[in-house]
Amino acid sequence: MKDIARQAMSIKVESMDLLNSQIKMEAHASATYLAMASWCEQNGFFTSAKFFFKQAEEEREHMMKIFNFLIDAGGSPYSPEVTNINHDYSSIVDVFEHTLDHEIAVTKSIHNIVMKARELGDLTTERFLDWFVMEQVEEENTIRDILDMIAVTGTEGVGLQVIDDHVGNWIN
Amino acid sequence: MLHIEVFVFNLNKDYFCSSMKVVYQSTYYTLYQSESQRCFYVDFVQKTVQMSFCQLLALRHKVLSIPIEDHFDSDLNKHGFELLQLCNKEHLFILNTLEVLDLKSLVEQGFVLLGVSAKSEALSV
Ligand SMILES: [Fe+2]
Repeated sequence: MKDIARQAMSIKVESMDLLNSQIKMEAHASATYLAMASWCEQNGFFTSAKFFFKQAEEEREHMMKIFNFLIDAGGSPYSPEVTNINHDYSSIVDVFEHTLDHEIAVTKSIHNIVMKARELGDLTTERFLDWFVMEQVEEENTIRDILDMIAVTGTEGVGLQVIDDHVGNWIN
Repeated sequence: MLHIEVFVFNLNKDYFCSSMKVVYQSTYYTLYQSESQRCFYVDFVQKTVQMSFCQLLALRHKVLSIPIEDHFDSDLNKHGFELLQLCNKEHLFILNTLEVLDLKSLVEQGFVLLGVSAKSEALSV
């Protein structure tokens, strides 16, 4: 039997399903960072707000990278439904701590797809995700550095305002 | 347009048989591949639907997304039926619980046999 299906699609459907879940996760991350930007604006952390606006854009770019990969591979990407966005944070430290947790969850999810792609012998998907694996190292490192800076600065007195100003160092 | 094709298929059983290959047959449904037309056909008993690979992917997504557990909860799915729209709303099917389960197995096994799925069990969609 001719492989008409294989001729139409270069990756395994299981990889496609996982990448569609990842599209959802990136969209959720983008929306979460937008909610954080909103919180920062409302609470006077204007530099941090800029940081999160930029993060929100980056997460959307990640989503589009996967979306376009699925199209190139002959699969079908699904436009994600985004629900359950948290808008409540107790402090700016809480915002950045949530950010680190979120990035770690994304890293785990990417690693899981790499391992599944490897199991499936889907080299195309595995190679495609190389960029994301390295990108996550950078993302986690950025947030860790900001949390370190927060710990050193302290939140007493003008600490919070100094923290907000320093976040500017991580906006390229 | 499609009805004409199905009509031709009914008249021309010989042509159909020579160019079609059965990929997988479940209890109720059959998935065919046509090498000459480079497409697929799904025999849904009431009618046979021609599908491109993309449309077959869409069928898989829709069928695997059906929450079958709801069929066993009278609050969530009172009558145990699902509406399935296919090929950009060209076709509409009403399926009962057994038909949904059978169609799920058709797409899962079908994609394995088509060489683009490694497992018989689909991962979360
Ligand atoms: Fe991301």
